[in-house]
Amino acid sequence: MKGYRLLTGAVVGVLATASLIAGAQAAEYPTKPVELIVPYAAGGGTDLVARAYADATKKHLPQAMGVVNKTGGGGAVGLTEIMAARADGYKVGMGTVEITLLPHMGVARFSVDDFTPIARLNAEPSAITVKADAPWKTIEEFLADAKANPGKVRIGNSGTGAIWHLAAEALQNKTGLTFNHIPFDGANPAVTSLLGGHIEAVSVSPAEVSSQVAGGQLRMLAVMADERSKAFPDVPTLKEKGIDLSVATWRGIVVPKKTPAPVVETLRKASKAAAEEPAFREQLAKMNLTWAYADGPEFGAAMQKDNAFFKDLMTKLGMAK
Amino acid sequence: MHELGMLMNGVATLAANPMALLLSLVGVALGIVIGALPGLTATMGVAILLPFTFGMDPVSGLLMISGVFFGGVYGGSVTAILLKIPGTPAAAATAMDGFELTKKGMAGVALGTATLSSFLGGMASILVLIFLAPVLAGFALEFSASESFALAVFGLSIIASISGKSVVKGLIAGFLGLLIATVGMDPMGGFPRFTGGYTELFNVPFIPVMIGLFAAAEAFKSMEDPKVRLGMAAALGRIIPPWATYKSLLGVVSRSSILGIVIGIIPGAGSDIAAYVAYNEARRFSKTPENYGKGELGGVAACEAGANGCTGGALLTMLTLGIPGDAVTAVMLGALTLQGLQPGPLLFKEHGDLVFTLFAGMIFCYVGMLVLGLGSLRFMGRILQMPKSVLTPVILALCVVGTYAINNSLFDIGIMLAAGVAGYFMQKWDFPASPVVLALIMGPMAEANFRRALSLSGGSYDFLYTRPITAVLLTVAILTMLLPLVKRWRADRAGASGGAAAGPLEASK
Repeated sequence: MKGYRLLTGAVVGVLATASLIAGAQAAEYPTKPVELIVPYAAGGGTDLVARAYADATKKHLPQAMGVVNKTGGGGAVGLTEIMAARADGYKVGMGTVEITLLPHMGVARFSVDDFTPIARLNAEPSAITVKADAPWKTIEEFLADAKANPGKVRIGNSGTGAIWHLAAEALQNKTGLTFNHIPFDGANPAVTSLLGGHIEAVSVSPAEVSSQVAGGQLRMLAVMADERSKAFPDVPTLKEKGIDLSVATWRGIVVPKKTPAPVVETLRKASKAAAEEPAFREQLAKMNLTWAYADGPEFGAAMQKDNAFFKDLMTKLGMAK
Repeated sequence: MHELGMLMNGVATLAANPMALLLSLVGVALGIVIGALPGLTATMGVAILLPFTFGMDPVSGLLMISGVFFGGVYGGSVTAILLKIPGTPAAAATAMDGFELTKKGMAGVALGTATLSSFLGGMASILVLIFLAPVLAGFALEFSASESFALAVFGLSIIASISGKSVVKGLIAGFLGLLIATVGMDPMGGFPRFTGGYTELFNVPFIPVMIGLFAAAEAFKSMEDPKVRLGMAAALGRIIPPWATYKSLLGVVSRSSILGIVIGIIPGAGSDIAAYVAYNEARRFSKTPENYGKGELGGVAACEAGANGCTGGALLTMLTLGIPGDAVTAVMLGALTLQGLQPGPLLFKEHGDLVFTLFAGMIFCYVGMLVLGLGSLRFMGRILQMPKSVLTPVILALCVVGTYAINNSLFDIGIMLAAGVAGYFMQKWDFPASPVVLALIMGPMAEANFRRALSLSGGSYDFLYTRPITAVLLTVAILTMLLPLVKRWRADRAGASGGAAAGPLEASK
């Protein structure tokens, strides 16, 4: 693999020079396999979405996509690599909501404007979930209790500065309540702690608690989305309850900013077709993930909106640098 | 016995599915290879294999993955014993005594013991998984942050017993490991510490450090004297340990298996911790604790039984609660979900037949591992006959490739080489490497959970003594830390008055 890359590296150099002269390369893009950088470990949710997507593009691109995991720094290492890649379309990336989070914390060299969005593939809202034997049957009761006992209600999240922490902070900010935020090393340990009764609630996505909710051990009180979740149609949204708040994580394909327009066009077309493949949608459904395709411009607008929202929130929290 | 009937049905279903049996054997073989290569861990093997199982029927796919998991945990021991290259963090514990045995010319018996103990530990854990899963499911939930903190402190207290010749040098090495463990993302605050602006340092680069300290350092050392073959004895000797020898190890193996199972059930604790804890307890209960670290079969047996005991424990938590306790089971959880099986409380009710077919397959996987392991050892042992001038560059190349494979990162290779140089000088000056590895595993766990426990309790320190599991573990930790010191101090006094001068320089040659 390494040797192959060195070899192709040399070929790319020649090709790139040639294309500058001929200017015809874009029309033929892609002429060699495309690398898909995933900023998280193999086997995780982001990785599985990426692999399903790479598989689905086979029919719609003349060349294969290969997934390469570049982990570390809560996604910062991989996202930096995507940002810094040669803008020729042969290194595309699986962008995640962290693009709009990490820059504000001063831990990333990139900002949301360093990427050109291609297609959003998946999005998951935050949800407030409690134990099934907890006294709160509705989100109103839960919030009322939190109001009566400021700082007593412990909400577990997947790490400080991670999306589910910010979701809980946003809820606190919107409602004027005070929670005790407990960071865990990922969503799973937070759910374990909730099951054991060591915390009162979690703010992770419905997918991450679905088996325990189905098994009757946990109860989901509300989702932070514009619409109800298809998997849990009985769970109300915060909007229905008069709290105008939706926070979601998302995953989608991005490329470096300066990628030429024809390449972006090709990728957008292929991504749309791949996202609409029944096999891809089926794969997501099997993983309890929500299909949320959005084309480049729409995806870009959502990214900008999130970026402004989180910048504002993190400045209020004193986390922004 | 309801479970026994179900298991028999499972065996019957499995016997009618030769493809699944074949694929599980392929999985085990792949797992052993992956485990033996430094840097490639069971987690990575399972993750890489996952996409290939999409097209298979659930039983075949999941058994292949289980095979990789089991084989991966065991495979690390082979290179750890033969070459002091721990393929996995747990095997770093096996290397302590395993490589000493190889130096003594007892590589064969060490490998055989490791294989048998892995098998017994793994089998015990699968049997517990089959028959006691519902009973033990709740245990994992008792573990909150304070209990995990106490477990990590207990783990750290083991440093004294794995220090080798000098406890002081072991403590220095452990302290160094704790310092390294503070580099990276602050576990509670979410901001980077001591990273010098490198995003690569946000996560403690643990495996590169381990590969460097053990494998690269050993390779550097062997360059000093290129003519001699690695180790004194190229002969492998007999592989299956004589019954009389192994019988004396059965106590160690059963104790270690139980420890492994319990630690496996605990979320966030895996085979690395189990191997060290099992080693420590084996030494504690041994009649000849002074032999540990100098090539004691019991040390090898304990580490391997403990590490493989974890497999069933980790699966138990994942299957019954739908919560993965470690990275491997997290990927396996994904695999189950993709096959349309939602792990969690409903799994046993809705898919009982399939679950028990899987259990039957897991037993088959372990039997396969025993056969494949014992069968391939003679072949693997040939490594020892390779001339050093060939073997040393191969080891170094493996270190580099393996390190790169973890994160596809050149930066990690730099860390590995730096750790290798440090490890070389540590060997020269008699500083043990294992405490560094142990501190790197336990340090972040202790810190994060201590601070999380404080958050959970609203800033009160009461959790240190009001929670029973925490209090017990902390007490055991303090005893573990102090007893060897007291014993040594007593022995020193007795030795000094008796005038028997123990040779402090027990040269390795």
